[in-house]
Amino acid sequence: MEFSQFVQSLLNGLAIGSVYAIFALGYTLVFSILGIINFAHGAVFTLGAYFTYTLVVGEFSNNGLLKGVALFPGGSPLSGNPLTFALATLLGAAGAGLIAVLIERLAFRPMRSRGADPLLALVSSLGVALVIVNLIQLLVGAEIYNFPSDAYGETPPALSFTLGGKIVIIRTVQVIIFAVSLVMLAVLGYVIGRTKIGKALRAVAENPTTASLLGISVDRFIVITFFLSGFVGGLAGTLVGTAFGVAGPYFGVTYGLKGLAVIVLGGLGSIPGAVLGGLVIGLAEAFVPAEYSAYKDAVAFALLFVILLVRPQGLLGRAAIQKV
Amino acid sequence: MIRTRIPAVLGAALTLSLGLTHAQKVDTIVIGVAVAQTSNTALLGQEQVIGARFAEKFLNGRGGINGTPFKLALQDTGGDEAGAINAFQNLITKDRVVGIVGPTLSQQAFASDPIAERAKVPVLGPSNTAKGIPQIGDFIARVSAPVAVVAPNAVRQALKLDPKIKEVAVLYAQNDAFSTSETGTFQQTVKDQGLTLSTVQRFQTTDTDFTTQVQAVLNARVDLVIISGLAADGGNLVKQLRQLGYKGLIIGGNGLNTSNMFPVCQKLCDGVIIAQAYSPAQASAANQVFVKEYRAQYKKDPPQFAAQAYAGVQVMVEALKALDRKKKLSTYDLDDLRVALNKQILAGKYNTPLGTISFDKEGELIQKEFYVAQIRMKDAKNGSFVYLK
Repeated sequence: MEFSQFVQSLLNGLAIGSVYAIFALGYTLVFSILGIINFAHGAVFTLGAYFTYTLVVGEFSNNGLLKGVALFPGGSPLSGNPLTFALATLLGAAGAGLIAVLIERLAFRPMRSRGADPLLALVSSLGVALVIVNLIQLLVGAEIYNFPSDAYGETPPALSFTLGGKIVIIRTVQVIIFAVSLVMLAVLGYVIGRTKIGKALRAVAENPTTASLLGISVDRFIVITFFLSGFVGGLAGTLVGTAFGVAGPYFGVTYGLKGLAVIVLGGLGSIPGAVLGGLVIGLAEAFVPAEYSAYKDAVAFALLFVILLVRPQGLLGRAAIQKV
Repeated sequence: MIRTRIPAVLGAALTLSLGLTHAQKVDTIVIGVAVAQTSNTALLGQEQVIGARFAEKFLNGRGGINGTPFKLALQDTGGDEAGAINAFQNLITKDRVVGIVGPTLSQQAFASDPIAERAKVPVLGPSNTAKGIPQIGDFIARVSAPVAVVAPNAVRQALKLDPKIKEVAVLYAQNDAFSTSETGTFQQTVKDQGLTLSTVQRFQTTDTDFTTQVQAVLNARVDLVIISGLAADGGNLVKQLRQLGYKGLIIGGNGLNTSNMFPVCQKLCDGVIIAQAYSPAQASAANQVFVKEYRAQYKKDPPQFAAQAYAGVQVMVEALKALDRKKKLSTYDLDDLRVALNKQILAGKYNTPLGTISFDKEGELIQKEFYVAQIRMKDAKNGSFVYLK
């Protein structure tokens, strides 16, 4: 591989890997508290992008029940400059967080209160995911929606240089994605590691019964966990939507699968593991040669398989201790 | 003993399931439409539903089948083969259709068309352009021109616009039968025109990040890029090519021949050349009525997928009218009507929005007029396909 190609792949991998990382954090948060995978996380990711699109553009065309609806005939007040777009992104992510809370109430809490097998909650979250995806299609159709180009999508490339006669280019949107992801990871790391809420969350994750005896409202912290999970998922959805367009109601499905690979690779329930797993998968995909890039998903999952053969607990996961 | 009986029992069950309609007189004429109303293929399928519904309303308004209205039975195929098979089986056995317009994707057609072939139900593919579709069987025809006929026009047109073109990059969605078929034609055309195929890049229709492919194209320093994909991935690829600095001509295949691409690449769609099997500019009376009605309702030109679905229903209806004039449709058994309809479809000539079309004995479309258009964007959202003479 030429050096220019190496540099380009490294930068591409870091950008997409950082999105995988914050998306997978949502999975990890829920898993660390409840010990189950929330299969509706991909749908929440999709919703985050749609919510932001609604705030920034708010126009729905062609198919779906909202056909012809234009919320801002004179243009949205949240469109046209990076600051207002950032605000819309945060609001969209918060909307996704609220939906995640709703999912917890509908799909997880009833199962938990009846002491049902965790597998049932997993299946019920899968059902919720399908309902959400189909609802999106019913409301806004299967079209691709795009953020306006003046949001920050079509600014000139952030970086463009030549190495050994070959071009290396980085899109501005890739830099923004990477920066936002880093900030988000730092904030989340601080909240979980250094605040009272974080301590309580870790206590609930460690042992809900003991946490409850210590006066921590387990249900309340589960709600907070789902909100945070939905928030980071929705944020990832908008970031991807800005870079590549909101490619229809199903566009979160691939990321949902990729996110699963990331958390398994990094180690189930490990927050640093989710970050590392995301970057490893992103870089593995980026280093697939261009002519075989259609196989990048297969490469990512093959890598997962190989690493799990060597480290079944994932890169940063703790090996299960068996009492004898 | 048991072993020899199992196939017999299965065969009997299959015969029963596909032959329940035996010796039943036809009271209502139902035409089946099996297209993708859900999944990520819904983008195309929903346009086809609109086209088929237009045909139902318009043709019934003009007296239906010699005074008798017909009905459409719609079944969702989703985006995969299993969905298409299921939809076909439902239309054949439950809805008791006389013929089927569908499915959306060539890949689905290879799976579901044999079901109709075995049940002797005529099928008109509205958008199946891959090689080998009519050869699936005697009851399979299509109103969608094969890519081998349409694609070369765009390359020739690009050479007219820029005679200096030498180096070409070809990109295609390798998980889509239609795109892989189309790219073969494009690559052959590039060689036939004496151009150099500098790089061939593959992607998936579900991909969104094309940085790797774009990088390869930029480093190959090509004068022309040819894309075979669908609206979402193709539009995104155009957008990222332009964003990262590619300034040369771009040709889009048939999958990009839809205004659904405009919101994807927005202003960056401008200038993309598209080979078309349908153009709103086609001057026939049949097309102009269709265009006028469509514009009135949707405030934009009809896309190719809607026009082809309309043509599919129209062909079925006109063939049924011709049959009815010879012998009243109500006197047919359903099985006999299906066989007679298939013969009549292949025998007729039809003035559709696609222009005048007919079929050869295999069911392959014979279409005289093809078009090359260039996308012109008015603003970030609205654009049109400008017909290049």
